[in-house]
Order: sequence, then structure tokens, then C-alpha cells
Amino acid sequence: MRKSTLALMAAAALPFSLVACTEKSTASDGDVIVTATDDSCDISATTGTTGKTTFQVTNNGSKVTEFYVFAEGDRAMGEVENIGPGLQRQLIVTLPEAATYQLACKPGMVGTGIRQDFVVTGDSQAATDESGQLAEAADGYRRYIRSQIVALQDTTAQFVAAIQAGNIEQAKALFPIARTYYERIEPEAESFGELDPKLDLREADLEPGQVWTGFHRLEKDLWVTGIQPDTNAVADQLKVDIAYLADQVNAADYSIDPTKIAGDAQGLLDEISTSKISGEEDIFSHTDLWDFQANVDGSQAAIAALNPILQERNPELAQRISDRFADLDATLAQFRIGDGFVFYDTVTEAQRQELSRKIDALSAEVSQVQEVVAGQ
Amino acid sequence: MSVLAAASTPSVATQLFGSGLIGLREGLEAGIVVMILAAYLVKAQRKDALKWVWLGVLAAVVMVAIIFFAIHYGTSTVDGLTAEVIAGIASLIAVVIVTAMVLWMRTAAKNISGELKAGMEKALVAGPVAILTLAFFAVGREGVETALLMVGYAENTAGSSWPLIGLLLGILVAAVLTVAMYFGALRLNLTTFFRYTAIFLIVVAAGILSYGIRALQTGNVLPGAGNFAFNLTGYDPSTWYGTVLAGIFNFRPDPTVLQASAWVIYLVVVLALFLRPQSSPAPAAATTISASETHES
Repeated sequence: MRKSTLALMAAAALPFSLVACTEKSTASDGDVIVTATDDSCDISATTGTTGKTTFQVTNNGSKVTEFYVFAEGDRAMGEVENIGPGLQRQLIVTLPEAATYQLACKPGMVGTGIRQDFVVTGDSQAATDESGQLAEAADGYRRYIRSQIVALQDTTAQFVAAIQAGNIEQAKALFPIARTYYERIEPEAESFGELDPKLDLREADLEPGQVWTGFHRLEKDLWVTGIQPDTNAVADQLKVDIAYLADQVNAADYSIDPTKIAGDAQGLLDEISTSKISGEEDIFSHTDLWDFQANVDGSQAAIAALNPILQERNPELAQRISDRFADLDATLAQFRIGDGFVFYDTVTEAQRQELSRKIDALSAEVSQVQEVVAGQ
Repeated sequence: MSVLAAASTPSVATQLFGSGLIGLREGLEAGIVVMILAAYLVKAQRKDALKWVWLGVLAAVVMVAIIFFAIHYGTSTVDGLTAEVIAGIASLIAVVIVTAMVLWMRTAAKNISGELKAGMEKALVAGPVAILTLAFFAVGREGVETALLMVGYAENTAGSSWPLIGLLLGILVAAVLTVAMYFGALRLNLTTFFRYTAIFLIVVAAGILSYGIRALQTGNVLPGAGNFAFNLTGYDPSTWYGTVLAGIFNFRPDPTVLQASAWVIYLVVVLALFLRPQSSPAPAAATTISASETHES
């Protein structure tokens, strides 16, 4: 009995050993002063910089209050609860990213609180990077993105020229090639707001009243409806939108969070398994396999940028991922004809399922990378 | 009042009252399960098992004291979100133990028709570990939070000591209330006591579950923190009745969807399990008793 009691007490104490300590800090000039009452929440600053911010919260109301710092999506970054009347409490929060956060006082401890924005600027402090490996990974991946953008602009220009010259066969041949460079880096394009829908929206996802532009609009013109009065204009717009993407990616301040690289690698694989395996991506042209390969290549490039870190922290995982990529590439190679692929409508259901299984197996491994990279 | 309050710092009475209500709530949350547990044991004439309760409580209090002093005199502190996650996990563990206990006592009690006392006794044979753990978690889950509050209040940079005094007075009142409830419970006859405290305990456990879920949502472990099921306007949880309801049932006027669903589902399922008619009257009752008695001695 005694032994089992001790064991249980040890188990019982487990959650309490998870206690993460943070450094205490004392009041200083840089602190943000929050004065709460029952119906107001005065905050001495509306902006801050990334890193640690200290809030001094005073409750001058008659109700017990709470103070929260929220990131996007109401994710709590820090909180002090149970601030009694007359009490001053301190909250130290690390705000890792330049972003707009929200500060909230909750008099009476209920509801969504009295909120206001708190705009944080400065360098990302998401991960400490003593060895510089993370920064190197981000640099490597950024170089990759930029190289793909050059090829994307180049091949898209040829694609658009073929359309505008009325050379339909050549345009059809160039379509999957231009897309390849886009599909390799799509998660980055998605990070620039409305750009991805402009470039890559499918007809099925069109909302009423929305103007359909981008690759898939041109795909329909080429394969189904024939050249339309506005086809040339849509083709020009595609070039303009890609030029905009290139400007964003080539800007001096374009940086990639090292932990996002793993997210991109995962995102690219998810693309295949959620929307491409069914063949609905390139529904008119059936060039889906070009996109598959491009997504896989892009994912592999992202993982490659992280490889030094993976090798150091979890070499087994690195090896498993490498094996899975090789396996998937070999499977895709069965469908190759010369520089291209067979059309996806000739791929049987059984073959699609095999592809799907291999992608899922790879995805399961890649999903562990972010934690390895983020963990110290 | 709020206009006045905005103009200057609140009066001493307001400070005492506000902090006192917090202490009252934290005290009730920590004490209520322990109170019922102790009453159970006394009613079942198992005072010998009470030491496990006190040991569990003591362990929790020691832990709270260590955390308090480590933070108060140390240079590190626990961040509020971490405390939430700890309280959340501890709450879930407490719910599991309470539920198992209530349902188990029911079977044990009903198996021996009429001999409720013996049934409870049997249920408590395997009890020490469960009793100790439950007492530890019931107090410990609020303890970490209270330790943090105490530090915050003791180091209150506004310099006033009224809030700390209020907090301590509130905890004291909670202790007195808990003891009063304990003696009230003792006055019930055994069958009534068993049935009503078990139902009460199920409702309390539902509240603890919902509290734990909210804590894990605040700590970003579970999603849906901003997704409210409803928000009762006009209900003020910082009043005395709001505090007592929050303290005993963990009631709050603005539960999240996940919280409210868990509360309802838990109540429906566990109450149904508890209240469902017993299938077989178990003719082997007498042998069960003697078996357990010989086993125990």
C-alpha cells in the first residue's frame, strides 16, 4: 500500500512539475500602464516592439477585473486574473511577432472585455537561434523562393505570349510548366493576402459576383470555351499579378520565419491530399500530375533548407522523410512521359489511392518537423 | 459608483470586499469536494481513513506554500497561462476521480440492500490512494492559482495591504462556510445523505470539468476560447451570490460552447448512470460483506 501511495503521489504531482518559470521583472520606464475601471480600460501606449512587454495593471474600479493580451484568433498570450479593486498587478508577456495584438480589460471577469489594438513592430523573436542555423535555413529557403519566382515570371510570359499570338497548342503545352513554378512556392504566395485567389482560383470556388482571373480561367478558355473577348486581358492580368508577387518576394524586408518553412512543407503536401488527388485542380486540362510533382518538389526544397537542423536534432526523422520522398518520386515517375506526365484522367482509381497513401505517409513524417525546428 | 471609482482609487471597503470575494471563491472551490469526502468518511464510520484526506490536503497546501515562497523570494514566477494549464489538467483528474468514486459507491451501496454503511465501507477499502489523490487535486488545482494570487497581492505595487487582508479574510470565510456545510451534511440521515451528496457532487464535478475546459482554452491547449455559448447580461459574478455560485458550482454567465456542452453532457450521462435502476439485487450480498471484512482485517 505504501509503495503504491507513493507512486500515486508522484503521478499526482506530475502536472505541477510542468510549471514553466518566467523571469520576474520590476517596474521600469518602458512599462505599459493599464488603468482599469468598471467601464473603461486606459492604456498608456498603443504600440510596442517585439519581445518582452511589461504591463502594469491597476484596477480603480469596484469590480474584480482581468487583463488579457490576445493574438489573432483570440489566442491568449498572457493574462492576469482576479485583480481586486485597488490592486496593481504586473503582467509580462513575450510578443514574438510583429503583429496587431489586442488588449482587453474584463471588469466583472465576464464577456469579451473592453478591447483595443496594440500594434507591435520589430524583428521576429519566435525562436532563439544561437547557432544561426535557423537564420541560415530561412535564408536558404528564401533563395529558393526567389529562384522559382524568376522562372515563374519567365514561363508565364511565354505562356501569355502564346495565348495572345493565338497559338493554342503551344499555350496548352506551356500551361502546366508555368504552373510548376507557382505550385512549388504556393504557400508563400498565399501569405500575401488576396494574391492566391487572383492567380489560382478554381471555377468551383468562385463566389457570386467575383471576377475570375488567373491560371484556371485561362485553362478553361484554352481547353473548353475557346478564346474569349477578354482572354488577352486576363492573360495580361496574370502577368501583372505575378509581377506583384515577384516584387513582394524580392523586397529587401521579405523574410521567412524559420518555423514557417516546415509549415510550408506540410502545406504543400496537404494541397495534394485535400484538393488535388481528386483531379479537381486541373479539371479541364488534366495536368494535375505536373502540379503534384511541383508540390512535392517545393515541399522537398523546404525540408532541404531545414535539413542541417533535422540532422542534428532528429537524424532518424530526417532519414525517414528522405526515404518517403524518394518513394513518392519513384511512384510519380511511373506516370512520366518525356518531360511531362500522363493526363490525370488516365490515372485509375487504384493508382490514385496508392499515390494518396504515399502522400499521407510522407505527410505524417513531415508534420513532426515543425516541432523539432521550434523546440530548443 | 463607477464614475466615482474612475476618479480616484476605490475605498478601503471596496478593496476588502473585492479581494474578499476572490478569496471566498477560491476557498470554496478548493474546499467543497474535500468537505463532502470527509463527511462521507465520517458517515461511513471510517474516521480512520480521514488521515488520507488530511494527507492529501496537506500535500497540496505544502505545494502551494512552496510555490508561494519560491516565487515571493525567488526571481522567477509562473506565467498566468501556465497556471491555467496546470489548473485545467488537475481539474480533469479530479473530475475523473470524483465520477469514479460516486458511481462506484452507488454499486457498492446498492449491492447490499439496506446495509448502506457496509457498502460504503467496502467501497472505501481500496480507497486510501483514491482519497488522498482526490483531496490533493481538489485543493491543488485551486492552490497554484491561489499561490499566484497571494504573491501578486503580497507584492502589490500599489502598496496597499487591504487587498491581501481581504483575500485572506475571504479564504477564512470560505473555510467557515465549508465547515458549516460539513456539519449540515452530517445531520442528514444516511440514505438521504448518500443520495443527495452524490447528486450534489456530480453537479460540482460538472462545474469542475467545465472550469478545467475553460482553463485549458485560456491556456491555448483547447480551441474555441472566444466562442461563447451565451452571455447573461445583468448577472454580475463579482457579487456575493455570483461568487458563491462560482465557488460551489463553478458557474459563470459566459461559458464557451465547449464548456457548456461538456457540462450538459457530463451531467446527463453521469446522472443517468447514477440514477438508473439497479438491475439485480445481488443475492450474494452477505458473502460479499464477509469476504470484504475478512479481506480487510
